[in-house]
Amino acid sequence: MSAFNLEQEKVLESWTQRYPASIMGLVEALRQVQQWHRCVTDEDEEYLAGLFAVPRSRIHEVATFFQSFTRKPTGRHRIGICRGLSCSLAGSKEMCSCLEKKLGIKEGETTADGRFSLETMECLGACDQAPALLINDELKGAATEELVAKLVEELK
Amino acid sequence: MSRPDPLLTKHFDETRLHELETFRRLGGYEGLKKALAMGREALMAEMNKSNLRGLGGAGFGAAMKWSTVIPEAKNPGPRYVVVNCDESEPGCFKDRVLVTRSPHALIEGLLIAAYAIDAQRAFIFIRGEYELQHRILQKALDEARAAGLVGEHILGSGFSCAIDLMRGAGAYISGLDTALLETMEGKKAWPRQPPPFPTAAGLMGRPTVVNNVETLSMVPHIVLRGGEWFAKLGTAKSGGTVLFSVSGHVEKPGVYEFPMGTPLREILAAAGGVKGGKRLKAVIPGGVSTPVLTADELDIPMDFEAPRAKGTFLGAGGVIVLDETADMVMVAHNIERFLAHESCGQCTPCRQGSFWHERILERGLSGGGTAQDLATLERAGENITGKVICALGDTVGVVTRALMKKFPEDFKAKFPERRG
Amino acid sequence: MAKTFKFSLDGAVLEAREGETVLEAAERAGVRIPHYCWHRALGNPGNCRMCIVEVEGAPKPQVSCRLPAREGLVVRSATPAARRAQASALELHLVDHPLDCPVCDQSGECGLQDYYMDIGRYPSAMREDKAHAGKRLPIGPHIMLDQERCIMCTRCTRFTAQVSKSHELGIFGRGHAQVVDVVPGRSLDNPYSGNLADICPVGALTDRDFRFQVRVWYLDETASLCPGCSRGCAIFAHTSTKRPWHNKGRRLARLKPRSNPEVNGHWVCDEGRYGFADFDSDRLGKVMRLKGDAAERPWDAVSDEIAVAWHQVVRNKKAEGLAVVASGALSNEDWQAFKSLFVDALKLSRFLFTPEPDQVGAEDELLRRRDKVPNLAGGMALGFGTRIKSLTWDALAGDIEAGKVWGLYVVDRDPLKVWGEEGRGLLERLDFLVYQGPRKGLTGDLAHFRLPATAWLEEDGHFTNFQGRVQSYRQALAPLGAAKPDWAIFAGLEASWRSGGGL
Repeated sequence: MSAFNLEQEKVLESWTQRYPASIMGLVEALRQVQQWHRCVTDEDEEYLAGLFAVPRSRIHEVATFFQSFTRKPTGRHRIGICRGLSCSLAGSKEMCSCLEKKLGIKEGETTADGRFSLETMECLGACDQAPALLINDELKGAATEELVAKLVEELK
Repeated sequence: MSRPDPLLTKHFDETRLHELETFRRLGGYEGLKKALAMGREALMAEMNKSNLRGLGGAGFGAAMKWSTVIPEAKNPGPRYVVVNCDESEPGCFKDRVLVTRSPHALIEGLLIAAYAIDAQRAFIFIRGEYELQHRILQKALDEARAAGLVGEHILGSGFSCAIDLMRGAGAYISGLDTALLETMEGKKAWPRQPPPFPTAAGLMGRPTVVNNVETLSMVPHIVLRGGEWFAKLGTAKSGGTVLFSVSGHVEKPGVYEFPMGTPLREILAAAGGVKGGKRLKAVIPGGVSTPVLTADELDIPMDFEAPRAKGTFLGAGGVIVLDETADMVMVAHNIERFLAHESCGQCTPCRQGSFWHERILERGLSGGGTAQDLATLERAGENITGKVICALGDTVGVVTRALMKKFPEDFKAKFPERRG
Repeated sequence: MAKTFKFSLDGAVLEAREGETVLEAAERAGVRIPHYCWHRALGNPGNCRMCIVEVEGAPKPQVSCRLPAREGLVVRSATPAARRAQASALELHLVDHPLDCPVCDQSGECGLQDYYMDIGRYPSAMREDKAHAGKRLPIGPHIMLDQERCIMCTRCTRFTAQVSKSHELGIFGRGHAQVVDVVPGRSLDNPYSGNLADICPVGALTDRDFRFQVRVWYLDETASLCPGCSRGCAIFAHTSTKRPWHNKGRRLARLKPRSNPEVNGHWVCDEGRYGFADFDSDRLGKVMRLKGDAAERPWDAVSDEIAVAWHQVVRNKKAEGLAVVASGALSNEDWQAFKSLFVDALKLSRFLFTPEPDQVGAEDELLRRRDKVPNLAGGMALGFGTRIKSLTWDALAGDIEAGKVWGLYVVDRDPLKVWGEEGRGLLERLDFLVYQGPRKGLTGDLAHFRLPATAWLEEDGHFTNFQGRVQSYRQALAPLGAAKPDWAIFAGLEASWRSGGGL
């Protein structure tokens, strides 16, 4: 039984066709899987190994190398706190503690209800808006305690 | 002394600069038109005169790189241009700003580069966290395709080039050219060890030019106004202007464009000086990989040559300003922790050495440091530098030693002599 | 004639072939430059950074494994500066390396120990808590993984990708937290997994069979051949006789491949490597007459007794009822004496030496061959298989049942293993049964005469492999008890025969 429905399989298949060599679509395909499942599982990897015609070891190496991909599911909202130098100077550590308190979890963890997960990230390229957060795909610069409180409130 | 017009940021007050119509109205894609008309030889002649250097950090001559691509006649088959938009060096955000504000400038420069090396396919590799920029580029490419600027027979010429986007997945090392190619090939981002260089065998074994966003954005200006003009804007060996990302303890963080060779002091002043009027303690000039400068060293002209006299370099122009409250041990720890986290793991000195640095500095920050650790850091740094596969490893050994050398008091405070 | 270059290494002029790196050329010339990740059969990823050399004219020292040798190159690997560079790479390998030497099987043949004693000897500056990872992970039937000891040279992942092509291993994660591991859900069970313990320079991948058995510095090394199939892979036999209370008293500690580019490259298969752990089990050491008044006898007495029996048989024209069971386990020396005795002297006509069904098995494209005996070719060179055809086991059983065969001489083969318990009835019908071999097996107790033979490690000899290549193996262990090589037993019998059995 596949880890994906028919529609999803078609999307993944399209990544094998997009670039000059089929394997070049792997990272994008993994991004897609991470988006659907909020992680990349053993079954997902087996499927991709078959789809891209490479050994499972290759898929697992790529899936465990890049920070975007996780083995365990992230929350529906993945919050990343930038800990680059400029953001650190602007108080990212305090921002992290603030979020940990608000969400009731430690950095690296996911809330019990699956709503939020919290992680630190390396420089997000938003040093001019330090301290910066990445919420799923969205960059939130100049984060403050108020902004954070509002976010936690709004995001379901 | 009057400063010449900026090139890349000139029209940044135009809120719709990212749209094709606005971009064209302001002269966009005229460079492409001229390049196609003048032909490859004339184009390369201008590029050779321009002294355009790689603005992603390495400073390698752009024309030199393009000219090492073996011509189709001798190596039939595809060749590629890959745009490195993986900007992940802490302190640098100029590519983000360029792509957000002026995606068509990049596309235009990219097409000219593709024309120069006869590449019919190009890729823009963009870091996974820049999702907004990814959408902006998608839209800009759609516009360009619809207008016959990308795809078959560009502007009715014999030159065709398709452009594709690809996103990264959260690894700083993907920003190194050969590691970027590995990522594009669906592998871990472990840098290669040339030879062969990418222009001989790059993406899928084919000749590939990898260039930074900013570098390519400069190209249309060179075409339009000539390589000599571009070169004269800068210094003897570094042509044109360059973007500085200024952040940290500064009044007006942001992107500032200056001619090559502008003193660091002037860049700082343009950004409003130290925030809250505090005393300046240090400046990191080109992103965290570049050795730190003291407040007394701000007269350095910022190009690819002059900073070397002070033991540092231009890098990718990420200027991080540090005021009197900044502790250099904390800075060292922040950077080494970053490098340890981002080390790809391929070679032992970087993989083990970065984590070693991180732990020693952490111990210093939490009160367990001793003076002996400073000797260890010095020796470990020397052990690593020059023994590694790529520049990330070299950085591990260099940055802490530079901070130790310039700010010994901070280190003595966290790593005191201990009795007993 | 391939193009060669001359370059200088530490003042000596070395010759390099086209395409060779400095490290390869040095290795070929017997000059040792420290290295881990390069392996002749696995490529040169250049990640361990140990093989650093100074290069005249170059601004930085370089790794010699990726430095093409060219005409006129001047390289230095043994200067104080080069040694310091090599030692600095070593120091970084050791910072998080666990202090496992007292419990690590690699001790005594460890790349880290060896280089530290050679070019290291610096005082350790590492004061942090060392990084931890998985230890004693039995990732496959033969291999134990210790992730903490791993130096990330990638030899193992390259092996499972390029050689066994089984892709069980990878390096997962990134940076200092990355680990070598099997793909989740898989086992390292390819037929060549034992080679990983050889190629791992440290104690990260070790042999489960060898684990904690005996320290390597107590081992003796003998060049030998694996008798497990007709390829005759070159091996080293590592024997343990200095500390008999180690290794459960077994004299054979382990087998390791010996490199032979024409035969087995750098590898041996697991069947061969692990197929002889019971080398010392169930051994015969006494010359026995078991029929009638069972007794241990001296060699010449038994030889004479047997020869006398044969003379009677020949006089009674019943020689064609005596069948001989042998196999490709015989050495060239054995086959020569075998033919001289049974064909030339006794003029027997019934021989069984086919490897079917007990001496055949799996074959693959790498090393393993279907015939699981080393020297059928040696027999074939003397006519066994061409002029002299082999019986099948079924035919032999039929002949015994029909009374056509009344006597059997069995050399290093176990008929009860082939026939099962039904064979017992067949063997008990025989008037004459000689069982010669190193082990008792199932048939040994049924023999009338039981002759102890040496096994392959207890003699010098030659095997001819499937390529027609004659290869030698050297004696590694002393014979047990009164055991003799097969050829010596045959020669003794022939001498007795020729002298009329002493009559």
